[in-house]
Formats: sequence, C-alpha cells, structure tokens
Amino acid sequence: MKAGLEVHQQLATGKLFCKCPSDLTETVQGEFVRLLHATGGETGEMDRAAKVQSAKKISYRYQVTPNSCLVEADEEPPIRLNPEALSVALTMAELMGAHAPREAIVMRKIVVDGSNTAGFQRTVVVAMDGSLTVGGKVHHIATICLEEDAARKIGENEGEIVYRLDRLGIPLIEIATAPDIENGKEAREVAEAIGMLLRSTRKVKRGIGTIREDLNVSIPGGARVEIKGVQELAMIEDYLDNEVRRQKLLLERAEQIRARGPDPPPSPVNLAPVLSKSPSKIIAQGLRPGGALLGLKLPGFAGLLGSKEKDGERLGREFADYARAAGVQGILHSDELPGYGLTEEHVREIYSALSADVARDGFVIVASASRDRATAALTAVRERALLAAKGLPEETRDPLPDGRTRYSRPLPGRNRMYPETDLPSCPIDMKTMEEVRSKLPERPEATVARLRALGLSSEVTQHLVRAGDVAAFDLLVLHGLAAGLVARVLTQELPSLEREAQRPLFDGPESLPDILLPILRNLEQGAFAKEGLLPVLRGVLVEGLDIAAAIQKAGLTGLTLEDLERIVTEVLDQNSTLVSQKKMGALGPLMGDVMAKVRGKRDGKEVSQTLERLLRQRVASSP
Amino acid sequence: MSGGEKEADVTGRVASLPPGTHLAVVLEDGRRWEGWLIPRDPYSAADSLRLKLPSGYNIGLSLHETQSIEELGGPLWGEEARTVRREETTEESNGGAVSGGVAILTTGGTIASYVDYVTGGVKPVRGRRALEALFPEVDGPIVLKEVFDILSEDIGPGHWHRLGTEVKTLFDQGAKGVVIAHGTDTMAYTAGALAFQLRDLPGPVVMVGAQRSIDRPSSDGVFNMRCAVQVAREADLGEVVVLMHGNPSDRTATFHRGTRVRKMHSTRRDAFRTLNQEPLGTVDTTITLNPDHRPRSPGKVRLEEGFDRRGRLLWIHPGLTPEAATAFTAGARGIVLAGTGMGHLASELVPWVQRTTESGVIVAMTTQCLGGTVDPYVYSRGRELLSAGVVYLGDMLPETAYVKLLWALHQSQSAGLVTKILTTDLAGEMGERRPLIGGMPE
Repeated sequence: MKAGLEVHQQLATGKLFCKCPSDLTETVQGEFVRLLHATGGETGEMDRAAKVQSAKKISYRYQVTPNSCLVEADEEPPIRLNPEALSVALTMAELMGAHAPREAIVMRKIVVDGSNTAGFQRTVVVAMDGSLTVGGKVHHIATICLEEDAARKIGENEGEIVYRLDRLGIPLIEIATAPDIENGKEAREVAEAIGMLLRSTRKVKRGIGTIREDLNVSIPGGARVEIKGVQELAMIEDYLDNEVRRQKLLLERAEQIRARGPDPPPSPVNLAPVLSKSPSKIIAQGLRPGGALLGLKLPGFAGLLGSKEKDGERLGREFADYARAAGVQGILHSDELPGYGLTEEHVREIYSALSADVARDGFVIVASASRDRATAALTAVRERALLAAKGLPEETRDPLPDGRTRYSRPLPGRNRMYPETDLPSCPIDMKTMEEVRSKLPERPEATVARLRALGLSSEVTQHLVRAGDVAAFDLLVLHGLAAGLVARVLTQELPSLEREAQRPLFDGPESLPDILLPILRNLEQGAFAKEGLLPVLRGVLVEGLDIAAAIQKAGLTGLTLEDLERIVTEVLDQNSTLVSQKKMGALGPLMGDVMAKVRGKRDGKEVSQTLERLLRQRVASSP
Repeated sequence: MSGGEKEADVTGRVASLPPGTHLAVVLEDGRRWEGWLIPRDPYSAADSLRLKLPSGYNIGLSLHETQSIEELGGPLWGEEARTVRREETTEESNGGAVSGGVAILTTGGTIASYVDYVTGGVKPVRGRRALEALFPEVDGPIVLKEVFDILSEDIGPGHWHRLGTEVKTLFDQGAKGVVIAHGTDTMAYTAGALAFQLRDLPGPVVMVGAQRSIDRPSSDGVFNMRCAVQVAREADLGEVVVLMHGNPSDRTATFHRGTRVRKMHSTRRDAFRTLNQEPLGTVDTTITLNPDHRPRSPGKVRLEEGFDRRGRLLWIHPGLTPEAATAFTAGARGIVLAGTGMGHLASELVPWVQRTTESGVIVAMTTQCLGGTVDPYVYSRGRELLSAGVVYLGDMLPETAYVKLLWALHQSQSAGLVTKILTTDLAGEMGERRPLIGGMPE
C-alpha cells in the first residue's frame, strides 16, 4: 500500500479573503439560491468531476449569517490574503523545513458541489518540499497550502442542497505528505504529529470538525483513491485497511471478468411489465406515473456482484454507490435476489426479459419515481461496469462511521485549477520570512520537556500537547494558579464537560483565563471544595450561570475554616463517650460523621487534618 | 560568469520562451522545480518567473535566485485549447436565420469574454461552439454577431451609433428580438442611446451583462443570457431594456426600461435598478410584464441615428468654481447639470449659468439624488436659475439626460428645437407621476 495524507486544519484567525470573523453561528439572516455551471478550466477542457456534478442540475440554497459578507455571497471580489493566516502557514513551513516560493499565487480550484458559492475554492501554495520525522522515519511534506473552508452543509431537499455561509472562507492550512506512508498505523502517527505541530503555533481552532484528514491511497495495480474529510484520527487505520481490502477485491474481480471476456452491457430494459404485480415496496416506486423500473444486463457478472461474507466488500455495493450518486436511492443486483419482496419466479422472469444467462450474466434493477434519474443511475452503473474489467477507477470517497467508505465523485484532475484573476500575487520576501523565523513557537518535544519539569505526569503532558491546550495552560499558570490544578481542569473536567455538551466550551486559549480564573480563585479561597469543581464548571460553562449561582446550584455553599472547626467540635461533643473510650482510635468513625455534614464544601484532606488536630487536643486535655 | 551576467542570461532566456514552455528551473540552493512557463501579470514582482506545477498550482520563483533553466521539450501547456479557439469565426448561426429568430450581438465585456489563462488576457467569446459551451441553456435559433470587442468603459457615442444601425438591420431582416451582450459599467448609457435612436421597435432590444465573469461556475451571465433570449423571443415588448438579476438568487431576472435604469452597485448581481418607476418586468420561467410597457410596433423600426459629442454632464458639488465649470464646458453646445436636491447650485455659479445660456448654450437641470424630480418653484434659487435660462428636466436621470442631449444636438442645430426635444418624453425617460410604492430602490 502507498498512502499520502492531507491534513486540513482551521485557523483561529479571521477569514482568509474578507474581514469577517470565523465563528460558526446558528443565526440565519436570510437566504439566496444559486445554480452552478461547469466551465472549461484554464485549458478549456472541462474537469471530469465538475462535469458530473454540474450534470445533476441541483440548486443550492445558501443561508446568510452575521459572519458572512458580499465576498461569501460571491457578490464582491475577495480582498488580499489574510496576513495572519499566511504567517501561520509560513511558520509551519519553517517548522517542517519547507521552502516558500518568491510569490504565492492564489488559484481557483473548481468545486461545483455548491459548497463554495463561487463554484471554486481559493487555494494557494505557500511552501513545498519539507519533511517531518515521525517514529524515526523521515516523511516528505510535499506542499503546504492555505485554502478557504467550504460552506457548511445543513441539509438536502429534492433537487436542492442547503448550505450555511458561516464556515465559508475560514482559513484552512493544508499539509500534504508525499505518498510514502506504508500502513494505517503510520498514517495515524503522521497525522498526530502534524496535528501537534499545528497546535504548537497556538493559532489553530480546536474542537470537532476543526481538523480533517484526506487520505490518498493506492495499491499496486489499483487506482488512486481519496478518502475525503476524516474527522477522527482513531479511524484512519480502519479506513486505510478497508480501502486496501476493497481495492484487492476489485482487482480480483477484474481478473475474473477479463477471464470471462464479456460483451459490454446492452441498453436498459423496461421491467414494469414483468414485475407489475410484485409486492416489493422498492419496486413499487418505479411503477408510479412518471417513474421507471429498469433493468440492466451485466454480461459475465454472474456471482461476481455479491459476497459470501456478511460485511464483506462487494462489487454490487460499488455499483449501488454510483447509482446513488446519480440521484436514486439504490439498486438491486442479481446476487442478492431472490429477496426484497422478489421471488425466484420474478428473478427467472427478469433473466428472461433481459435475455440474460443465469449461469453467466448478472443484472441490476433500479426503481425510481423519476424516469430521468432511473436512466441516469443505470448509465452510471453501465459506465462503472465497463471499468470493472480494467480494475478500479480513481475516485473521491466519503468516510462512513463504520470505518468503510462510499463513492462520492470522480477524482478531480488538474484541469480544475486556474488562477484567481481578482487578486494580485502575494510576495513572500526576506522581511516576511525573517519576521516568521523570529517568532517560531516552541516545538512539541520542547514543550513536553518543559511541562515534565514542572512536575506534570507524562500522561497529562501528552494530553495537553495533543489537545493543543498548552497555550491555555501557560496563560493560567502565568496568572498564578497551581500547575497541577490547571492541568487537571484542562485534561479532565473540561474534556468531560465538552463531551457532555458535545461542543467546544471556549474559542481560543485567550478566552480561557477570563472564564476559569474566577472559578479557580473561588476554589483556592475555599468558596467550594475540589470535589465541587466539576459541577461548578458545568454550571458556568455549560448552563451559563454566574459563579455564585453555580456554587448554590451544586449545593456547595462553602464553609470557612471556623465553620469547619465549629462542626468538628459539635461532633466531638456529641460523641464524648466514644472519644474517651477509643482516644485517637475514634478518628475513623468520627470522620464519617463530619464528612456527612461538610462533603463538597471543604477539601477532604483538610477536614481530616482538622478533625485529627481537634481530636488530639480533646484527648490530651481529658483525664 | 558573474552573478549579474548569469541573472541577465536567465532573464533573457525566459523572456525569449513562449508561454506554456515545459521547463525545469534550478535555484541557487540546488532545488529544482518543473512546470510550464506562465506569463507574468502586471502585479508580478520585477524578477518573477512563474511556473505552473504538475499539480495545477502556479507559483512565482525569483529570477534572481535562479541558477539555470532547462527546456524539457514537452508540449506547450494549454496549446490545444487555444488552437480550438483561434479557429472560431466571428459570425455564425446555430442553424437559425435572422428572420423569426433571435440575434445576439456581442460587444465585449464580462458576459462575452473569457480569460485566456496562458496569456493572461481577456478574450471575446467567438463563434457558436463557444456560445454553446458558455450558455448551454440558450436554445432555439440564434444568430450570433461580434460587433466590437471592447470593455464597456471604452464604448461611446460612435459605438452607440453603430449598434443602432446593426439593430435596425436585424429587425429589417425579420429578427424577432435582439440581445446585446454588453459590459455592465456603461450599459445603461448605451441602453438610453439606443432607446432614443430606435423608434417604433417591432421587438425587444435586450441589453444583458454579467457581474461575474463567464468562466466562473457561478457566473450570473448564464441565467441572464437565458432570460434575455427568452424576453427577446417571446415578450410583446417594443422597447430597449436592460436585463440583469433581480436579487442575489439565480431565480428571477428583472428587466428595466433603458432610459430609467442605473447601475447602483459596483459588484452585486442585482446592481441594476429602475428609478422613479417600477421595473418593466421579470422573468423566472415565465415573463411578467408591467402594464406600463410599450408593445411590439407593427411597422418597421425607425432609426434616428447619430450623436453630437458637444454635450457635457457636470456634477454640481460644494466648492465648484465658475472658472472650473467654464473650463470643463468649453466648446459645449449643451450642458446637463446634476444639481443638488431639487436642482440647485451655489450662488457664485448663477452668473456663470446666466452667461452660458446667453451665449446660446443649453443648460439643463437634473438631480444628483437620482430618485425624485427637480422643481424650480420651491426655493428661490430654483426661480433664479429658471430666469437665468435653465431648462428643468423633471425626473430624468442625469446620464439619460446627457445621452439624450448628445442625440438631440445631432438632430438639430437650433437650441430652441433641442430644448423642445429635451423636454418632451420620447422613450419613457421622464414622467409626471412617481409612485410611493416602488421606484425607490431598496
């Protein structure tokens, strides 16, 4: 296997080509609807991926947000590249020993799935030819680019996709490795290392969806496939392993098909007369007025479409994905029938209607409420079936939550790239580079060493560095809080609350001291005990309460030391017999009584020390 | 070889290579870049060498840091596509004859141009193949003719005259309607100029443009062109109109009377607005016409062609001196003023106005507010100007009044007659009634 990685990380700066802030929002101020047309790129040749998308005649509905302007609406030319974003990209270039060209030239990359209002994504090479050593192996970094993030997909209606403009234009730094990764584990480790380096710049966004991986993978004899938009690092190995399995199966099938030397699939046949009485719900869709129920004979495909393993890869699934991409809900193929409401008798009739040989040929059926979509789906299956004898096509695939992937569109070629004519090139001169070099961040290895020297455990240190929370840690410690406490909040309480809330609870590290300092100061001053930290943080960060209300709600109204001493004295008074009998041996039993009254309001250790001190006095003064 | 000689050598060689040459560039630090030579643009750094990389990205390298270049002998990049485009002719039809069909005249501008990425220049759309590629939704018989190949800021009275005669010829040959693809900057001026020249129109003259260039997937030109052809073919309309997006969506195009329309935004798709009345109509899948429109005229089109350039348009502003006004209007036979408010100017300019009119030069007043009418009777300054000989043009837009002045000056040498023409509504350019609802763009 040969794989390359593209890591896409959102930057915590303003947008790349306008002055809008880059926060996501739920506020929608209005909307507009657009169509996109495939156009010839720079060479006048139309890109294959763009052509397929444009042929779908889909309209795109865009939701306007407070953080979008005429630039996102494609109603105004972009303004010049955000210098702060450029500086982060150049910083990454320096950290990986990559070289910046003399001029960065913004390009338009044609993307006509509606995710960019312009029909292209602006992207610019900022540096090339760097390296990163991971686990002793030197990985070549091919390019470092800056590009615009796409609009956020909100939903899909019939013939229409809804996008929100809040995410469009947020700067993404794209780091692409050469295809020299040899297995899934290595891919994950490289992705992790790049992620840590990105976070060391302290200028990247954190949280789900702010870093995304594209995996380019091929095996000998296979084809380059791009798995686009993997959000979970832990899944990288699964995606790569499954993709290798899939490519192997398809190569095996190709050989089998070639051995049978079949004719190309003939034209689709109307199966409505044969299946008009079928009780199948799937089939019924195609029998409605305006709909179509079509069958396509696949000469030589008998037994090659399905799989004996329950969850195994199968050629039939590939065909179904192409049909789905052409706008239908799915297909039925000969290796999964009888089934889905179709009997053996039906299957025999289908074979006969298609003039197909049960022993040698396969078929697919599509039923759709739209004749156009049914025809388009079988055209896509037919084209895919022709490729099946050759091996497999170059594709872009979407990652699925179960570790598998699904066909999304053909892999775009270089025909989709042409210059952004609305922007002058961006010079990268010596002065810019000197400025960047003078402000290089601490490398992750150095950060680890520094934090370990502060007494943090290896585990906690790794956590802070990986999560990109070192900036927040440093800031809070700078404000005089204890390193251990800060580390605990950042590695335990906050992640736990973010999992609960399923959203990031703060934007950048800068906002953290404002939020956390008052809470932690209250803790240090005894307004509540350590045990109360999680509920208080939850009250403030998740529920939006002020600190006093959060402490109140958590039932943690604090105790002063005097209050504690008074309670301990009361307990000793109530248990004077026990004290006189057991002396210091009463400590254990009495601790339970005291804790019942002060739990969460004072630190347990402190309670124990106070009880021990007052008990000792009592024992010493008694006869 | 010294550094300077080496650099001059490399620079000279790069300059001698045709764009698109397949090259390897070796820098002083030993790095080697392969790609195709791309022309510099006017913004390039002085020592820039531009390459298109195999990935499709362009980068700029420094000639100063270049050790050597090597021609790799591969094919020129993009050569094939350019050859195809060169073969196109300038006049072609898609099987349609003028008679009964729609004619599309191209003049240049965003809608009828594509960027040649190899040379960096903007080129006009040429020929049927290009038209079909760029406007796949335009159907039915079409005749395409390239009249000019210029940006709209370069279009002036001579071009207006030529377009007027072209349109007349097409209608005389039986065209159902004429579409003129035009740059948007001065499209409203050209629309007004055609409206005054072409009378009793037997069909629509639809001026259409784009705010986003046609090589972008998001170009508004595709939808605008589709709608323009539909209006030209189907609408019972005998007027010159400007058709563009009605809002930011690719859902509704709005068409505006050529004498009442103005570009009100430098970049938006819906930049064009009708002032002081409702737009003439809209197109989504069907055409909706405002009852106020003039239907197709049954007879032949009348052409009253030509313009006299000795007219001026002067924007009144605080601090404008009589000397500056005199200098600007030297040699003029007529002046349109875009006055403040209801048609005013500073007292120090009143004697200049008086002298000008007394010398036989027409001075006409419009409002720089654009919305609303001028009125000489409300303030004393207006009455002063009226007695100084200023002609008040009601709610006519300043640009429309200027175009009308040039046309009227060509029609007659008599100041009295020109004044009469100016103050008579000929092509819906002025009205006595302004609705409260509509007519004031949002």
